[in-house]
Amino acid sequence: MNKTFRFLAFAIAIALIAVAAVPSAQAAQTVNLVLMGWSSSPSENERLQKIVDDWNAANPDIQVTLNQVPDYDTTLQKSLAGGEPPDVFYVDSFRFLDLVRADALMPIGDKLTDIEDFYPALRNAFTANGQFYCPPKDFSTLALQINTEMFEAAGLSAPTTWEEMRAAAEKLTKDGVYGVVVPADFARWIAFLYGAGGSVTDDEFTKMTINSPEAAEALKFYTDLYIDGFAKTPADLGVGWAGEAFGKGLVAMAFEGNWIEPYLKDQFPDLKHKAVELPAGPAGKATMAFTVCYAVPMKAKNPDAAIKFVDYLTGAQGMKAWTDLGLAMPTRASLRQGWLEKFPNLEPYLNGAEYARKWQFVPGFQAVLDKVNEQLSLVMSENQTVSGALAEIERVGNEVLASR
Amino acid sequence: MAVAAPSLGNQGGFRLSAKAQERLAGFTFILPALIIIIAFIFLPLLSAFLISFTNWNGLQPPTEAAGVGLANYARIFGLDGTTVVRDEFFVAIKNTFYYTLGVVPTQTILALVLAFIVNQQFLRFRGFFRVAFYFPSITSSIVIATIFLWLFNRNGVINGVIGGVANFLGLQYTPVTWINDANGIIHNFLRLFGLTARTAPAWMTETNVLGQTIWQWISGPSVTMLAIMLLAIWTTTGTMMLIFLAALQDIPRQLYEAASVDGATRWQQFRLITVPMLRPTTFFVLTIGLIGCFQVFDQIYVISQGNPAGTTKTIAWIVFRNLRDSQAGLGAALAFVLFVIIAIFTIFQRRLVGKTVQQ
Repeated sequence: MNKTFRFLAFAIAIALIAVAAVPSAQAAQTVNLVLMGWSSSPSENERLQKIVDDWNAANPDIQVTLNQVPDYDTTLQKSLAGGEPPDVFYVDSFRFLDLVRADALMPIGDKLTDIEDFYPALRNAFTANGQFYCPPKDFSTLALQINTEMFEAAGLSAPTTWEEMRAAAEKLTKDGVYGVVVPADFARWIAFLYGAGGSVTDDEFTKMTINSPEAAEALKFYTDLYIDGFAKTPADLGVGWAGEAFGKGLVAMAFEGNWIEPYLKDQFPDLKHKAVELPAGPAGKATMAFTVCYAVPMKAKNPDAAIKFVDYLTGAQGMKAWTDLGLAMPTRASLRQGWLEKFPNLEPYLNGAEYARKWQFVPGFQAVLDKVNEQLSLVMSENQTVSGALAEIERVGNEVLASR
Repeated sequence: MAVAAPSLGNQGGFRLSAKAQERLAGFTFILPALIIIIAFIFLPLLSAFLISFTNWNGLQPPTEAAGVGLANYARIFGLDGTTVVRDEFFVAIKNTFYYTLGVVPTQTILALVLAFIVNQQFLRFRGFFRVAFYFPSITSSIVIATIFLWLFNRNGVINGVIGGVANFLGLQYTPVTWINDANGIIHNFLRLFGLTARTAPAWMTETNVLGQTIWQWISGPSVTMLAIMLLAIWTTTGTMMLIFLAALQDIPRQLYEAASVDGATRWQQFRLITVPMLRPTTFFVLTIGLIGCFQVFDQIYVISQGNPAGTTKTIAWIVFRNLRDSQAGLGAALAFVLFVIIAIFTIFQRRLVGKTVQQ
């Protein structure tokens, strides 16, 4: 009994102390911001940290902490749902409309410097309901990597059309090497879909337009490379992704984004290769743009400071400092010339900005992307016909669009 | 405890009966555990249940989500006329079912055999074997899955060994792309007899049941799923072995002695003493194996992400995918359907074997 009461008193005392230990408020003279992003590569992390340090030195009243988190999407989701989002964070164009619909982003476009300078396609990727929400920090496009050694040995020049690419793939498939690596991935095939003049949905995302002769041509071209034996998937080649297959010399061609360049330079320094623009399809050139913006949340505590910081990061000076690393490309047309002088070999990627399409769909569209990937691999393994695949994608897509 | 301390007793008039005191003491002792269970298990469970009736997208605070009644559940079972969510759900049901059917019996039998072996007195280095068999179970599943990803690589160890053996026997072996092969193993088996999607009878390839044809339903696990199943068996067998081992050592020696006095053979002893005495343990192992299989997720996440062609999508995987892709309400509903499925199977198992366990 005595012991019981003593124990109870002890427990209550502990509880009281815990409740009383409320953090004391700090006097706030400087504004503290948190910039949250994902970590891409050590050199990129260092560069970003340096840009942030420079900002902090020049702006004693606005101090920024860089927070690079693993498992970014989940972390961002948690902090948004918890009502305590970071002051500035990355938003991938693919996730952009999700976040706009959830009312999570503050439209800050019209408070920034010289927004006309951003490439229209990239500005468009972060525009919804007529408002420019957040400035693109950099972007990547798809281009064709060719193994120059193999091409020269075969007496071939870089392909500029689908026919030339197929012919090259056929000729270069020998001695255990394949012409090209084709992932069963919508994010690659879609460039061919656009190259054939096809489309996924109408502009307002009300119905699917993918079941078209153009799409059939693109799907047939892409999968025939595989079925006819001139191409393999990364898994067939025992590698993790197309860049690895290309770097190891298992294939003569690969279509990848400019992120492949530092990877090849780092892992396969002796590889002789170059990038060219994706071969033009029946409807002309096409590529995909993958881009990320710096967003400020709707519930920002210090919106003015955050906007000022974002404006610096994506302004001519901040973006130059960031893109001079050569990993990602500047989204401002005015920086094009200076950047190309430093990285002439990346010109094919930057040229893509003129005709690239955005990688962006409506919320809930992931089910359709899964379906496309599934149908791609079924067609490649000859378990599905081209027309059957497109009809199935159309059916699922229309249902998803109708239930929005 | 039942004897009241005089110093705190009668004067104040505040006095609890002996029974109430005991109750209070009891609650005080379980309080820490109770708080943790309520805060981290019960409340999240409750909120997930409530969220399953909303269209929460996972990006705003959940209180701002709108209620949609039973709409999420209706979508899962296709009761609202849509098929996308329903079809995916039943693909996941099929995959999870094949996975469970392959993993649970195999790991249980294997665990029993291993436990029996390492329980033998004559076995040298018993301690080493016990540790070796148990080791996979205490290693992080993410680490193991990553290692398996390398082993099952097209140019990896598994293909190397099979190729080497085939070569030795003078056979031709085309390396299997383990982690990207959507062909079902029953389909592969039927192909040996010339039965493929093209030659199968029309009633199999034309009849559509819940989004898949009968031919698709009988595919069996895909080759990729088979690789994941092997991984799961390898990892969990150790735990099951440990449970069996403990149960084996609990069987009183006298039973065996009495049996041998009565002239029972080793086989009779195993069949008539060991197996019945292990029955409660076997059902325990089956139950936790079943639950673990229905919840398979981390291996899928690391190795295949539901690919190729959706053949490794499991129920837990599509729960996760919906939570990630801003359909948290639907994801929560799926999680509850999974909960009900597991509950039904567990109750069914109890009914089936409960009486025999009680004896």
